Amino acid sequence: MAIFAGDIPAAMLRMPGTPASAAYADESYAMARKGQLELNLGVNLVFSAAGGLVGVGFLIVAAPMLAELAINFSSFEYFWLACLGLMCAIMIGSADPLKGFLSLILGLGVGCIGIDPAAGFPRFTFGNVDLLSGINFIPTMIGVFAVSELLRGAVEIDKAGYLVQDKVGALFRGLGEVTRKYWRNFIRGSLVGTLIGALPGAGADIAAWVSYAIAKRFSKEPEKFGTGHIEGVLESTSSNNAAVGGAWIPALVFGIPGDSITAIVIGVLYMKNMNPGPTVFLQNPQFIYAVFIIFILANLLMVPLGYIAIRGARRLLGVPKNVLLPLILLFCIVGSFAMTNSPYGIVLMLVFGLIGWFLEEQGVPVAPLILGLVLGEMFEQNFMTSMIKSDGSFLAFFARPIAAVLGVSTLAIIGWTLFGALRGRGDKIAVS
Amino acid sequence: MRLDDRILALLFAALGATMIALTANFPEFPGQRYGPALFPRILGGLMIGASAILLLRASRVGGVRGVRFDPFMSDPARMTSFLLVPGAVVFYLLAAEPLGFIPTAFAMTLVMMLWFRVPVLRALVVAVAATALVNWFFGTLMRVPLPRGLFMQIVAGG
Repeated sequence: MAIFAGDIPAAMLRMPGTPASAAYADESYAMARKGQLELNLGVNLVFSAAGGLVGVGFLIVAAPMLAELAINFSSFEYFWLACLGLMCAIMIGSADPLKGFLSLILGLGVGCIGIDPAAGFPRFTFGNVDLLSGINFIPTMIGVFAVSELLRGAVEIDKAGYLVQDKVGALFRGLGEVTRKYWRNFIRGSLVGTLIGALPGAGADIAAWVSYAIAKRFSKEPEKFGTGHIEGVLESTSSNNAAVGGAWIPALVFGIPGDSITAIVIGVLYMKNMNPGPTVFLQNPQFIYAVFIIFILANLLMVPLGYIAIRGARRLLGVPKNVLLPLILLFCIVGSFAMTNSPYGIVLMLVFGLIGWFLEEQGVPVAPLILGLVLGEMFEQNFMTSMIKSDGSFLAFFARPIAAVLGVSTLAIIGWTLFGALRGRGDKIAVS
Repeated sequence: MRLDDRILALLFAALGATMIALTANFPEFPGQRYGPALFPRILGGLMIGASAILLLRASRVGGVRGVRFDPFMSDPARMTSFLLVPGAVVFYLLAAEPLGFIPTAFAMTLVMMLWFRVPVLRALVVAVAATALVNWFFGTLMRVPLPRGLFMQIVAGG
């Protein structure tokens, strides 16, 4: 749902509302300039819903099966799984894996602040009572994502995008023809999306980029891509919504977020006493099925609500930036305050807003930082448990078959990252 | 603002070293080899290692040297706009508790909008409406204990 809403400003203003819409924002905007805004938004709306349903279908089928396997997992498997998820996030998710790695370590380090999960000793708190509770990740996230964006926006307050088209006409005209012509793209996009979503650490935004690339690669008319061509939009909009359902698979079954959205979801699930992990299917099956049903309903409701959103978007997007920015800041402050019910949340938001801005200026991606912060405690707990169980023998981390497979894959990815950072890939990034 | 990657690497390495240094006084438990210091030490080590690779890479290839400031930083008006965002948050932190949420949020949004050249009347209307809406939604509906401060003492008598 949120991703589709992100498609609207992408098409109208060339400002993707969510990172997942960024892959085809240019394509959508080019379509809008060609006068095909209605067709673009109609396709986005319908195929977002359809792709989302495919993702949910896989979630419903695959999650319980995986859970049955995961119930035999011990701390070793979880340790490697968390490791693998974090490494995937760096490898696929960022342009510069080395800086992504630094960001991740920073996130894990920040996650150490507070009471240590294994021994209960307060670390890095400097006698501060607020820090004892750890770094609350919602204000941190508000800071890193929203406040840093506000800092950039404040400087360019007078440079706003402009609407290419004032009125939105019939949305669903021409949809039948597009469907007949490109139904293969829909199926491929949904499948690829679900698969990428299900990888721990990779989510909807990556799915959209990959699907866009696949669509271009296998298209009969690749030269049309970039000039306002519906094919790539259709495939990636199916893909990113399917990825949402896919990302819930590792989130529910292993408690490992597939992307930053499910990272938040896991926090919420814990708050609702629905501790994610394979046993959630034993202890709280009613909640799981509620989640499935809500997922289906949300995807179906997306069509009428999205229709209204498109109608209302013109007015909302017309609000000038100089009015919007102070209001967003106010919402950020109150939202952060509400998480801790004390000024501590606001301080966290401010500090991490500045850190996030600084890091992005240096080309350091901030998403790994958040993933590290969210996964840090579980990661450390499984690591410490494993170390204590095996009495420090590193071989025990590979003694169980699944742990061995996961471990070897993780080490391979780490090795490849380091190798790539020293050679080829990094050079281009450093120069640009 | 873009730093030389080599400076960035040194900053990260210093951070890693600080992390390790701070674990020096973490307690060890008798009969237990792995205490609370282990994980932060590993992280610190990894951070130093990755910084070293970054340092090597940045020395080998070109890129930014020294510090490159953004154009907006030499423009006082834009720099003020930039500083206004953290400034507003600091103002809120200092003023909300004594004054109360309503006057603080109102003043903050109003001043920001006026600086960003929103017409006075529109800025006033939006600031009043936004403050009232947030106060109602978060304060009343979501039961967030927004600071009452002096304002509510005067208006509601305590």
